[in-house]
Amino acid sequence: MTENSIDRFIESAKRVGAEVLRIENLPEAAAYIAGKAQGTTLVPETPLAVRHGLRALLAAAGVDVFGKSFREAGHVPGAGVTFSNFAMADTGTVVLESTDENIRLATTLPEKHFVLVDPATILSDNLAAAAPMTAFHRDPAPKFIAYITGPSRTADIERVLTIGCHGPRELHILLVDGISSDLMEN
Amino acid sequence: MANETTYKKSVEEAIGNPKLSRALHLFGDAYLIARENAFKGLDFQEMRTELAAIKDEVRVRRKELLAEFIKNAEAAGSKVFLARDTKEANDYVIKLAKEKGAKLIAKSKSMVSEEAHLNKALEAAGIRAAETDLGEWIVQLAGQRPSHMVMPAIHMFKEEVAQLFSKEAGKHLAPEIKALVDHARERLRKEYFNADIGLTGANFLIADTGGIGLVTNEGNARLCATLPRVHVVFAGIHKLVRNIEDAIKITRLLPRNATGQLLTSYVTWIRGGVPVDGKQKEQHIILIDGGREALYESKACQDALRCIQCGACANVCPVYQTVGGHVFGSIYISAIGIILTAFYEGLDKAKEITRACIGCRSCVAVCPSKIDLEEIILHLRNEVSKEYGIGVIKNVAFKAVMKNRSLFHNLVRAASKLQLPVTQKNRSDESGPRIIRHLPLHFMAKDYTEWRDLPAIAEKPFRDQFETIVQNVAKPLYRVGFFVGCGADFVYPEVGVSLIKVLNSFNVEVVFPKDQNCCGIPALYSGDTETGEYLAKQSVQAFTDAGVDYILCICPTCTMAVKRDFVERLADHPQWSAKAMALSNKTMDASAFLENVLGASFKLNATGPARDITYHDSCHLKRGSGVFREPRALLASSGHKVTEMKNSDRCCGFGGTYSFLSHPQISRQITKDKVETILATGVKTVATDCPGCMIMLKGAVGKADATIRCAHTMELLAESLEMKK
Repeated sequence: MTENSIDRFIESAKRVGAEVLRIENLPEAAAYIAGKAQGTTLVPETPLAVRHGLRALLAAAGVDVFGKSFREAGHVPGAGVTFSNFAMADTGTVVLESTDENIRLATTLPEKHFVLVDPATILSDNLAAAAPMTAFHRDPAPKFIAYITGPSRTADIERVLTIGCHGPRELHILLVDGISSDLMEN
Repeated sequence: MANETTYKKSVEEAIGNPKLSRALHLFGDAYLIARENAFKGLDFQEMRTELAAIKDEVRVRRKELLAEFIKNAEAAGSKVFLARDTKEANDYVIKLAKEKGAKLIAKSKSMVSEEAHLNKALEAAGIRAAETDLGEWIVQLAGQRPSHMVMPAIHMFKEEVAQLFSKEAGKHLAPEIKALVDHARERLRKEYFNADIGLTGANFLIADTGGIGLVTNEGNARLCATLPRVHVVFAGIHKLVRNIEDAIKITRLLPRNATGQLLTSYVTWIRGGVPVDGKQKEQHIILIDGGREALYESKACQDALRCIQCGACANVCPVYQTVGGHVFGSIYISAIGIILTAFYEGLDKAKEITRACIGCRSCVAVCPSKIDLEEIILHLRNEVSKEYGIGVIKNVAFKAVMKNRSLFHNLVRAASKLQLPVTQKNRSDESGPRIIRHLPLHFMAKDYTEWRDLPAIAEKPFRDQFETIVQNVAKPLYRVGFFVGCGADFVYPEVGVSLIKVLNSFNVEVVFPKDQNCCGIPALYSGDTETGEYLAKQSVQAFTDAGVDYILCICPTCTMAVKRDFVERLADHPQWSAKAMALSNKTMDASAFLENVLGASFKLNATGPARDITYHDSCHLKRGSGVFREPRALLASSGHKVTEMKNSDRCCGFGGTYSFLSHPQISRQITKDKVETILATGVKTVATDCPGCMIMLKGAVGKADATIRCAHTMELLAESLEMKK
């Protein structure tokens, strides 16, 4: 949306421990991911991934893209790479419509999660998400929608903030223009 | 009696283990800062007013919304079961597990499953429940129950956690937090993969989608809802909201108020049976009543179900910080825990903890659902008293003595003579009022004078001094009625004398209706509403007859009583309610009157050298009447330099009969905190606007450092005016 929202999003997401970068295009994003991801990488074949040839881009950059059923990728795969539906500037949150089980496995199991966000989908705040969130539920089909704000965390031992409890230890948000401005697809 | 003894013992044990209390204090201080930052740029009052309205509408429309939720959830493939109580809910899960041949259930955090003792029930049926929330797992390994709603293992230290983990793993693990979290991550990962069923709670049940919402940080709920073939949702019926927008509004308050986060790492919205390994997941939603319908039906207590379970009422509670959640609570802890325990487990289980609330209203100030927790607790205390009595001492004191005004006042006068043998001169102020430094009996000393001096009853109460005071007010701007209150009447009459000096200097005449009696709060807080009502009538009549412009109090608890409680206590009496309301509209604290009606701080010109003071906010003045700016402005304009102490609005530990009869041990600790913060300022004068706080602070500060003086704002103002002359 506005530059203002983009700046606010970057600041909010960084404050909760996410890495946030603005990247020129998807091949450069793939190169960044190749430099950070280690081991088996889960890349769900979503409509956007297919349209942008994400698996091929990542493989070409040297990422170890996992080709079999994600449930066979072990208990802790190295990385997951996904697109997002939209983001929220006030809290630095990315939103993924994750009804497709592979999106859930790619964002819950790995050590690192890389998420590609089109800056055009950054909403000003959580309240602005009420409309697309309601739109997701227009038909009665089962739905799983995930808000993700920074990496997994806990403060359950002596109230000390500790990153990487049960979900990814690292969240990398890559802002790339021109992915899709449609909030309903990822 | 056994119950009471066990409870007393648990209080003493908690106080004997200061390590936990220190940790909870550090947490409480850090929480206040984090919370303030999280709400920057937002209007908390507006947000919580809106949330209260949402929750109230849900309460009214709950039957219709529940039906809508069920219809929509079923349309998305969920199976919904309405459980009347937690046993029915447990039985459903056990039956389901048996049908599936399930041996292992991976659980994420669910408070209602704690309420149901689900793990125990599953274990008895041969099914293992694996807690995957880190705090819940720690508590499970220790065979304990959570001591905080959001941070279940807040009472444990890393050394204890390392011991538990080492024992379970069969290898030595060092007490390093990062390493312990990593161990849990690795160890629990296989549980999700091996589990036949994943069980989660729900923060929301969204009526118009039939979906649930989960607000979490660790990521375990997402795994529990994704990997196993079956998903069971365990939720109390009060989690209903109308739509996604309601739920989003709650997510804006819940993490900010719980932990000072703008949002938790994960908010997960699940509707129906989502795909699992190429098939449709089986989702069962168990909606549990378990006493909630009864709570919804209770006019006096129903607001408690607005609760979104953020745990803030514990975070700010001085009693919780002193004894922890295992003493101050049951399944649910702290202020909200008292209420939920009474409804979910029974009044007898809540008997002791209803009295453990000190009444400081700090929970009310931070509650995101605008629940007047203190009011509800007082109501329950009254129910407990009706059921189990208030104790012989209070019964005689309130019913036989206080209702009879002249007997009460003559007894106090007599006591002033009888106490002479135990009183002595005040070390810091030889000419000042006498104090009680030791009591003759050892058991009394431990609770009463070992850690604080007690004030002696004044030789001549204010009511006997009033007529001798000459007021030189020719054409008064206002005639105000003075509601003196017992503290200023019998312990600190000099505060009343000071008030008259100050008001006279502003051309205001003071009237003292002699038939006024105690405000009734001590009786009411002890659960004796009958005496409370009787006393309200006496004072309402006395002040109505006086026909004054305003009624002023110098005790914030009395202000609350006249302003709010008299109206409520007499609401059902047509001949009294209008009178009480008329008085309420004219009643305020003396500082508020001086500043807001007379604009005194503009007229008080500083004289003489500036005196350093620090200001203690009385609970009932700041959170009961919203007055905290006024006394500071008055003191500053009269030449005082105010140095703020840390947590100036944290309770001093007085709490009326709380510090004398019900919980002197807890009071002692809370007072100790206050004394430390006062000493840390290095300032030698503490100002406050409450005779109750004065009793506590004069006594305890005096014992710690005899050179520190504690005075009422009215005394300091009167002194400044004297100096000006």
